[in-house]
Amino acid sequence: MKAYQLLLFLLFSQAAWAQTTIRGTVQDQRGETIPGVNIFVKGTYVGTSSELNGSYVLVFEELGDFVLVFQALGFRTQEIPVQQRQEPLEISITLKEAINEMTAVTITAGALEASDEKRAVVLRPLDIVTVPAAMGDIIGAFQTLPGTATVGNDGRLFVRGGDASETAIFIDGLQVGNAFGTTASNVPTRTRFNPNLFKGSFFSTGGYSAEFGNALSSALSLNSVDMPLRSQGDISIMGIGGGINQTLVGTNNSLNAGANYTNLGPYQNMVRQNFDWEQAPASWDAEILGRQKLGSNTLLKAYARTERGSMKIWQAQPGIPQERGILLGVDNRYSFAQVSAKHTGKKDWSMYGGMSFSTNSDFLTVDQLSIRNTNRVFHAKGVAIKEFSDRFSLKSGLEHFRFEYREALPDEGLERSFEDQQLALFSEADLYLSNRLIFRTGLRAGYSALASQTWVDPRVSFAYKFEHEGQLSLAAGKYSQMPVEEIRVNQPTLQNTEAIHYILNYFLTKNGRTIRAESFYKNYDGLVTYEGRRFAYQAIQQQGAGFARGFDLFFRDQQTFENTDYWVTYSFVDSKRQFSTFQSQVQPGFAPKHSLAVVIKHFIPALKSQVGTSWSMNDGYTYTDPNLPGEMNSKTRGFQDLSLSWSYLPKPHLIIHLACSNVQGRDNIFGYNFSPTPNEAGQFDQLPIRQTAPRFLFLGIFITLSKDKSANQLNNL
Amino acid sequence: MKTYLSLSAILMIFTWNLSFGNPLNDAYLQAMSTEISKLYQAASVEELQKSANAFQRISTMNPSEWLPDYYAAWAYANMGFRSQGSAQDKDNYFAQAKKLADKAAQVSPNNSEIVAMQGYITMGELSVDPGSRGQHLSPVAMQTFGKAINLNRTNPRAILLMAQMEYGMAQFFGQGPEKACGLILSSLELFKKEAATVKNNSIEPLWGEDYAKGLYQELCGN
Repeated sequence: MKAYQLLLFLLFSQAAWAQTTIRGTVQDQRGETIPGVNIFVKGTYVGTSSELNGSYVLVFEELGDFVLVFQALGFRTQEIPVQQRQEPLEISITLKEAINEMTAVTITAGALEASDEKRAVVLRPLDIVTVPAAMGDIIGAFQTLPGTATVGNDGRLFVRGGDASETAIFIDGLQVGNAFGTTASNVPTRTRFNPNLFKGSFFSTGGYSAEFGNALSSALSLNSVDMPLRSQGDISIMGIGGGINQTLVGTNNSLNAGANYTNLGPYQNMVRQNFDWEQAPASWDAEILGRQKLGSNTLLKAYARTERGSMKIWQAQPGIPQERGILLGVDNRYSFAQVSAKHTGKKDWSMYGGMSFSTNSDFLTVDQLSIRNTNRVFHAKGVAIKEFSDRFSLKSGLEHFRFEYREALPDEGLERSFEDQQLALFSEADLYLSNRLIFRTGLRAGYSALASQTWVDPRVSFAYKFEHEGQLSLAAGKYSQMPVEEIRVNQPTLQNTEAIHYILNYFLTKNGRTIRAESFYKNYDGLVTYEGRRFAYQAIQQQGAGFARGFDLFFRDQQTFENTDYWVTYSFVDSKRQFSTFQSQVQPGFAPKHSLAVVIKHFIPALKSQVGTSWSMNDGYTYTDPNLPGEMNSKTRGFQDLSLSWSYLPKPHLIIHLACSNVQGRDNIFGYNFSPTPNEAGQFDQLPIRQTAPRFLFLGIFITLSKDKSANQLNNL
Repeated sequence: MKTYLSLSAILMIFTWNLSFGNPLNDAYLQAMSTEISKLYQAASVEELQKSANAFQRISTMNPSEWLPDYYAAWAYANMGFRSQGSAQDKDNYFAQAKKLADKAAQVSPNNSEIVAMQGYITMGELSVDPGSRGQHLSPVAMQTFGKAINLNRTNPRAILLMAQMEYGMAQFFGQGPEKACGLILSSLELFKKEAATVKNNSIEPLWGEDYAKGLYQELCGN
């Protein structure tokens, strides 16, 4: 009997010793069970997964002390040390969520992001360049986005009551000086850069990160393509010129080289123009872009571009309609070069930085007077990011700017210039309290040697994501920018102009639909006021101030109608400021109160075609009529433009693109020029500022030569 | 003396092999074969998740092997394809698949199977939102399959997946499926060859033949 008992005891204990059973359930912080959790004994093959109800059972031969690991997608891995013979083995745990880069809340206040990789984006890069009214210009497409105003006689980016000079443009984080081509007054300009070079853009209409300075209203950051997919040759034949581009791709490097020539002369001879051209705008450019991978963690890029453009135009003067007016000539030479590097290091460090240099020379002739000005911008920047955990990261950077400006009247032997060195330091911390809540605080400090001014701009933002995926962001900050070079050269001691932004944003993107609503308040201080005219500024002061407030709405839908993508934008801006030659706070001529844009793109598979239409309008531009009392006492009639485009892809490597702006031929007026002195009747004569032509018709044929026959230039359109 | 030394050396190697090499290797092979057959049977997202977990456990134990991560990546990619959840859910699965495939590629660079898997995952990301991702991702997928084929011209999976992309392109441009069908046929031949040369209990990737047959029936059978 005793022997039997002993045997039984031995058997039982043997069983107990030989096998361990662990049970339990796994749940998240809200008490919901988590299925599919990987549960295993560290250092062995022993493991199992939790069931749909979060429960698990793990049976194995015990090895002594061990560590039980719980691992699941979206949660922080947890390790539980288990001591030998610890009974009963019921281990139920609560896993903490991990911050998920893809689904976590992002700060969307002020941001209009276009990217293929990130989620909280408004557009894809391709969407931008296929906007019919854009005619291949990046800025043209941004003018259909909330917060921007179309100023058809300028062509640059005007954001929320801000002047075009208040928008800074960056390529791969480095500032681009003179990003727009030089043009005669009231002839719209275009961005110099080929949209095809960029894989995405970050356009902020306010409240942006401490990384960006020298911008009072807005920052546009363009990111160039890291590695093109394949070697190919691209040829474009257009009604207004042509171009050729070659891409060579190796394992660890690639090279793009291209050249373009455009001349509007033949086109303008065929299509009636509103303007009296002596010599139509003509330009050529050449660019080269190289990339080299150094190991798997470092990417080096170098980009250089040079171009020359010229035009001559007769500008009629109000009150003397029988004469051609004043002959304006523009000859612009521009070169831009930059090198940049990105490096992902060990221990959650990453770095990027580089240097950029741009030089812009304008040879202007106004009647008999010739003016020559040169503007050079050098920017060097280094940024380091350390991720201390998935919840906390710190980004810090150091920047150096050199601004050089020279203005000369060669015939009279007059010249003036200035040179400014600026230093900037910034630091910005991102803190995720959960996947739903993020705080960002940043500080940007700057110093200008010329102005002997030091400044500190604090910036904060936060965002909260709701259960329904919508998110609310709030941003506020101080922004500083030196006055424009043309004025600064008159008075080098001018200090920063300042703006304070407050932005409240709601953003929801779900099932192919995006809703974005934003309201803002912006306060301006230290704005420059002067008397006199361009190149002859007098009584320069910095007592100007003002504000801009309003809201904008954006709705995009790619889901409801098959093969159709459309978006609608409405912006309301109420802005008044004292600047330029104004004596009081007035609504600027570039800030219409109401702007509306509708873009529709539809793909017709049977015709292998994409057709697009964009319609923009606003309620008109303010101007001062000297025949009436007061400033900015009048408003033009509303602006309207209906553009159509048709892209036909008969073969995968051939695209034919036809586009027409202002199809209705509406005579849009952006303001009036008045004669400087009254006529015999005591009235100031006026001349409307009109579009260069009633319509612009674009025809282009784009051919791609590649081993891969499916390659095409769709990105070019 | 010499003989003795060399004999003991041989013995040492032999015993070392026996005691350290093979049992571990056996455990690995054993675990892999078991899990691979389970993976081929897995139909639901839940079963695939269990499979993926199992391969990740094996991977932790055998960090110098590429196959555990490869199969885990395949399981996650298939979860993405089969998930009935939101776009975000699917993207999460594909992102995890990508991470695992990239890890496998670090262990075994220029491996045609892994490159084909990376392309398969890209195809998955594309399928979540073809309207807005097609233009951007289809050249990436084709490029990746092209690379996989160049690395090993007898990889039937790379050719089969390329066929599927070719078919999508042809549809887009209103062309016939001839090119895709040609590719499927050559993949079928390669699958046959693969089946003939493969050893029992092989843990190498062998999936795709049934899918190729089905696709051929659907697109090219008449």
